[in-house]
Amino acid sequence: MKKVHNIYKSKKLIKVSLEYDEHSKIISSITITGDFFLYPEETLDALEFNLIGIKLEKDSIKQKVEKCLSGSEAFGFDSESMTDAILGCLKPKQD
Amino acid sequence: MSFKFSKIRILESGYDSGPWNMALDEVLMGSANYDIPILRLYGWQPPAVSIGYFQSMDEEVDVKKCKQMGIDVVRRITGGGAVLHESELTYSFITKVYPRNILKSYNLICDPVVMCINKLGFNAKFAPLNDITIDNKKVSGNAQTRKKNILLQHGTILLDINVEKMFSVLKISSEKIKDKMINDVKARVMGLNKTFEQVAYELKESFSEKFVAEIIVDNLTLEERENTRNLANEKYTSDSWNWKKK
Repeated sequence: MKKVHNIYKSKKLIKVSLEYDEHSKIISSITITGDFFLYPEETLDALEFNLIGIKLEKDSIKQKVEKCLSGSEAFGFDSESMTDAILGCLKPKQD
Repeated sequence: MSFKFSKIRILESGYDSGPWNMALDEVLMGSANYDIPILRLYGWQPPAVSIGYFQSMDEEVDVKKCKQMGIDVVRRITGGGAVLHESELTYSFITKVYPRNILKSYNLICDPVVMCINKLGFNAKFAPLNDITIDNKKVSGNAQTRKKNILLQHGTILLDINVEKMFSVLKISSEKIKDKMINDVKARVMGLNKTFEQVAYELKESFSEKFVAEIIVDNLTLEERENTRNLANEKYTSDSWNWKKK
């Protein structure tokens, strides 16, 4: 299992910490934090819950994010930037 | 659609701790009357850092430094960023009647705050989604939540700002950018340099004018006080709440 994190600057900051299986790329845990607004607030808990067991690759993440955010209102990010924030965990970090 | 109320219940609850202040906001969401919204004006003693609902305390705040400096830490029920509450007037507006559109509701409730600041001699503007600025300098930040069809919007009106103190308790990832950010913030944020009482007076007048409402100055009920004490102890001082996002 590999632990990774990413800080993504959309209109607001999105910070993602997740753990995934390097072989299968399946997410086993994920925490999303930031200074954004999301209504209703419980949407974020649902998004984190529904991302567990999902493959850390673009189409799978994008589909899940779009589904979870539909019906909610976000300020400071959108589905695309949230997807990018999560996928950004895979990018090698520069010191 | 215009929004008018016959009355607004005004609570000037004084200076209290971070947990108490946040608990009282939540308790008052249960007190809201359909016809009569609540406007609460308050301060923070001791100073406190509040983080947004979606933030992680350990990511955002140097909790050890806060403890050394006698600064409370608390997580809000509203989103947004980390804030050092010290030299400011904080308001909370609680209502059952509000625009469903989120941007419109922020605009509506920020309007009397803008009016208040302008009555004090400034040229303030609403800066969507949730800021109020004077010549592009932020003087007020606001945050909103909705629970069971009741809206709480609370916000700060800065009287003064100590940027070095703010950066000493908020975590910045690199010392390299800290100096730059301190200078940046000093250029982009300002305090009114007015007293709490001056701002409070104009804020009450502005809400009355905006919503064509009679101001009813009131006190907390015994039940509200008791509920606040319990909620502050059970929730807003608990690690399970404040450190919920790890």
